[in-house]
Parts: sequence; C-alpha cells; structure tokens
Amino acid sequence: MKKSLTVKFAAAFAVAALSLTGINATAANAAGGNKIYVLGGGDAFFAVVKNGFESAALSVKAGGDTPIWLGLQNYDNIGPDMVKLIQTAVAQGADAIALPIWDAAAEGPEIKKAVAKGIKVIAYNAGEPVMKKYGASAYIGTNEYTAGVKAGEYLASMGKKNAICVNDQPASANIKQRCDGLAKGEKNKGGKSTQLSLPATAFGNATAIANAVKGAITKDKTINAVFTISSADCDASVVGVKAAGSKAAIGSFDLSENILNRVKNGEQLVAVDQQGWLQGFLATSTAWQYAAYGILPATTTILTGPALITKANAATVIAGVKTGQR
Amino acid sequence: MAGQTKSRFDFGTLLRRPEFGALIGTIVVFVFFSVAGGEPFTDLGGWAAWLNVASELGIIALPVALIMIAGDLDLSVGSTIAAGGVTMAVVSGFFDVPTPIGVVAGLAFGALIGFINGIIIVRTNLPSFVVTLATQFAVFGLVLGLCKLITGTVAVNVKADEGVKAIFGTLLFGNFETAIVIWAVLALLVAWILIKTKYGNWIYAIGGDMVSAKATGIPVNKVRVWLFVGSGTASALVGVIQASLYDSAQVSGGASFVFNSIIAVVVGGVLLTGGYGSVVGVILGTMTFAIVSQGIFFTGWDSDWASLILGGLLLVAVLTNNTFRRLAFSSGKKKG
Repeated sequence: MKKSLTVKFAAAFAVAALSLTGINATAANAAGGNKIYVLGGGDAFFAVVKNGFESAALSVKAGGDTPIWLGLQNYDNIGPDMVKLIQTAVAQGADAIALPIWDAAAEGPEIKKAVAKGIKVIAYNAGEPVMKKYGASAYIGTNEYTAGVKAGEYLASMGKKNAICVNDQPASANIKQRCDGLAKGEKNKGGKSTQLSLPATAFGNATAIANAVKGAITKDKTINAVFTISSADCDASVVGVKAAGSKAAIGSFDLSENILNRVKNGEQLVAVDQQGWLQGFLATSTAWQYAAYGILPATTTILTGPALITKANAATVIAGVKTGQR
Repeated sequence: MAGQTKSRFDFGTLLRRPEFGALIGTIVVFVFFSVAGGEPFTDLGGWAAWLNVASELGIIALPVALIMIAGDLDLSVGSTIAAGGVTMAVVSGFFDVPTPIGVVAGLAFGALIGFINGIIIVRTNLPSFVVTLATQFAVFGLVLGLCKLITGTVAVNVKADEGVKAIFGTLLFGNFETAIVIWAVLALLVAWILIKTKYGNWIYAIGGDMVSAKATGIPVNKVRVWLFVGSGTASALVGVIQASLYDSAQVSGGASFVFNSIIAVVVGGVLLTGGYGSVVGVILGTMTFAIVSQGIFFTGWDSDWASLILGGLLLVAVLTNNTFRRLAFSSGKKKG
C-alpha cells in the first residue's frame, strides 16, 4: 500500500510539496475501435499495476481496440488531478474508463457524468464502498478487512493463536480494518489478536516500534505472532522479537525485498499481498470486454487480494519481482 | 552582562544547579513503571528497551539542547534523519557502494542541511523556528522526490558491512544498541564544550542576550551556524544508525523526533527562551521521555491509551522539575 502512504504525505506536507503536477499519458494510439482508458498512479506499486495493463493491452489491441494509460505523477493534489484525468478521457471519446476512486467527493460527480454519456466505468484498487453510488459497473481490488481475516485464519491454522497487530497509525480507519480483520480471522479459528497501538511519538521511529514490540511480548510471553501493518514496521518488529529472545512468528501486510527474503529464508511466516499486477490486468480487460462485447462478470466485486506469501511460494514471487508482476 | 553570565557558570554554582528536579522526574516515572511493569521492565531487557530509544533521541537532543540554550530552535531534525538514512541506503543499498562511503555521504548530507539552516538564519535574521520549519518540509520533499526518481520507491533496503554494522547497528549482549555508547561519548563531548571551553560560555551568552554577546566580540553568527551543523550531523547519524540496525531506510522516517527532541530537552530543564540548561539535565529529560514512552508497553494495559498516559506523565515530570528548579533558584539567590 505505498499508494496510501504517499497520499498521506501529500496531505500532511502539501505546503512544502513541490508542485510537479503533470500527467503522464502513454497513448498506444492506433486508429479505430473502442477507446479503453485506464487511470492510475505513478509510484512503485502502480508501476506493477501498469505492467498488468500492458499485458491486457495486447488482447485489447488484438481485438482492434485502443488501450490508453493515463497516470498521475504524484498524489499531492489527488482529487482535482483525478478529475482532470477523467475529463481528459471523456473529452477524447473514451468508451470505457477503469480508475481508482481515491477521492469520492471529487471524482464521484465526474464519474456520474461519464456514465450518463454511456461510458462504461470500472473501479479498481480503491472505491469499493462507493462504486455503485456513482454508477461504476464493477470493483476490482482488495478489501483490507478480508485481507486481515485471511491472515488471521492462516496464523491460527499454523498454531499461532495469540497475535498482536502492531499499528503505528491507530487513528487511521483503513489501517484499523487490517487489525480488526486479523482479530476476526484468529477468532474464527479459536485464537485471538490484540492491537498494539503506538503513540504518535513513535511514528516513523523504528527503534520505538522495535522496543514497544519487545515490551509487549516480554510482558505477555504467550504471544506467539507479531503482525505489522507496513513493511517498514515489519523490519523494526523483527529486531524487537529477536531482542526479546522470543520465537513469535512474524507476519506483515505489503511486500518488500526484505520481507520476501525473510519469508524465503523461513524468518518470516507470511506476508499479505494485494496483487497490483492482477488489478491492472483485470481492470483493463474487464473495461474492454464490457465496452466492446457487453461481457461483465456476474460478481461485481472481484478481489485481487489477499494473496498469502509463504515459504511455499516465495521463490515464485521473488521471480515475479524481477520481471515486474509483483 | 558578560561578566554576570560568566559568574553564573563557575564550577561551584554548577554543582548547586537544579538538575535535581529533572532527576526527581526521572526517578518518579521509573518507579511508576517498575511497579506497573514488574520484572520485565526492571531486568536487563527492560532497561535496554528504554535506553535504546533514549540513546537515539539523546544523540539528537544534545545538539538540539545547545541550539536551544543559544536561543534558537531546530525543527528540521525529522527530515534530516530520513535524509541521512535514505542517502546511506541509496548509496550503499541501491548503488552497492561500500557502506563506509554511504555512511559518510549520509552524515555529510546532514551536515550540509545544518549548514544551510545556519547560513539562512544568520544572513536573513529570520527566526530559526520559521527557517528550520521550512527546511523540514523542503528536505522531506527533496528526499522523497530524489528517492523516487532514483529507486522508484520510498523505502530502500541496505545491508551494512560488518564493520559499519558493528559500530552503528549491533545489539550488544543481544539487547543494547551501540547507539548508547555513541550517546555517552557525545554527552561527554558536549559537556566538555559547555563547561570547559570558551564556546560553552559563548553559547550561554548568545542565548542570554544576543546583542550584548555580539557587543563583547563573540562571533555570534559563526557559533550559531556551527550549532546547526552539529544538529544536522547528529540527526543524520541517527538515520544511519537506524538504517544499519533495521536494514532499511524510508523517506517518512524520523518525523516524530522533531517534537520528541524538544520535549526531552525541555523536560531536562532547558529554557525555551534560551540562556539556561545543562547536559545532565538533558540526559535525564531524555531518559524520562524514553521511560514514559516505552514503559507503557510493559504494563500490559490497553495500548489505545498510550498517548494519553504519555502526555499526562510528561506534564507531571515538567511540573516536578519546574517546582524544584524554582526552589533551587530561590535558595541560590539567598546564598548569593
């Protein structure tokens, strides 16, 4: 979820952010057919999403239609910038638009206008709760709560039935869903998970996080799993668990090179991925199939995640990092 | 005025100085958490848990204290930490240059940020509060932009060489960060500067009354610039320490250090208005802050209340400190 992280910075530091507002359009422009617009972000996560778009774009072109990627270069002004992208796509005669609904208040009215013109809209990556309201036909992405539930059930099934969910942003609603889901998943299988909320004085301080984890697992020696809400917190928690001399299993949301290597080497039990490549691939092909042939899956919420990365599939995932699918 | 400042800091007065209040504050919170946290808090692992946090905060709090004694503030330490760590990670993790060079690059970047802070402040006469707030944002944006441009991500992995790891990123006895040793050495150095050298007197004099300090021939601008170079380098050092320890550095790291360092310094008895403060006080203030912020996790209480308890206990610590200082001041006056 590098996306949400960056969005947060953008809001907090808007004053200082250098305004590099710009739009990065890759128009694979051949003449003719339906125009399929896919709107997205521009960070590491979306680089992978875009690779999924590129793969789906081959089919779109083979069908005689035109796939076009419009990407934000930053998230400093996310609502208005997305509105501009939507207006660009509409003005250029889009037949279908796939897009993340990050700022429902800003994007919603534009999406409604596009739908009113007969343009097919598919939401992906973000916007599941509001997609119906604005007339989008399907949502393709992850669900934080479900991701937490799956992770919790996995921990319990591996015998790790007393987990803590380390949360250094306890006031953030979507991060809380991860921890709530984890607790629900553990409960489903007879375990439990408690949220370890860190005070604001610890945010972004790996040492404070490491030693808070150490404190919690020293106090309650029955804790046998430590789950973190981000990859950097995971790096910190690993040190805390080691220093406590604990054998607690490590788990995390999101992927990073360190995490994948730890999973491969058996130092981390599991990581939860939302599979950005699949989001790009499915969003593009769904938008295209619906616009060109009226084909739409019966399930209008298609979850690309959670995918659990464990020792069993870590090697495959690492290979995917090198070739751009992860 | 200069004479007055000088006489206030001879050795005899120093012993009578009211760090006592800060000490009481530290003892109060330690006893509080020893009772609430029990043995896990009082054994070696418990000591390490708060000493580790204190050491990194302390490495920054000491130079920040010097800046505050001289009457300035540094709000840019947060993004400077990230700048130091990310620079090291990009140089040595992304480009695979040997880690010692990455460390030097990180520290140099921190020193440069401090130098720019200092130069802008003395040349423009703008309040350091405003200038360093601006650089805090600007450096954050610069590091974010460059990091994404170069590596495509906001968190960079780095595996430090054994030598670098041994100095900056090892847990001694499996528990204690080497940063504790670095902190101790830095504390001795800063204490020496404050007590034994003319620069110490200069710093107090500048914080007491800058116009008079200038009039007596103290190179005020030079001293202020160097103080900012000091805090910039120390902040970058903490970034390097965390990158060595956790094998990664991220652009968002360090933000919380801005206020934490000021809190530690103020709890340690340094006046926000400048001209007054001591190394022992700052060390005690840093320890108090670290004990309060980490102790809560040894109590087993619902951590949702951690921030509230932290805020409350810090207020108590400052109040205790202030009360004792007032008493010490009034008795000191009677003697004098």
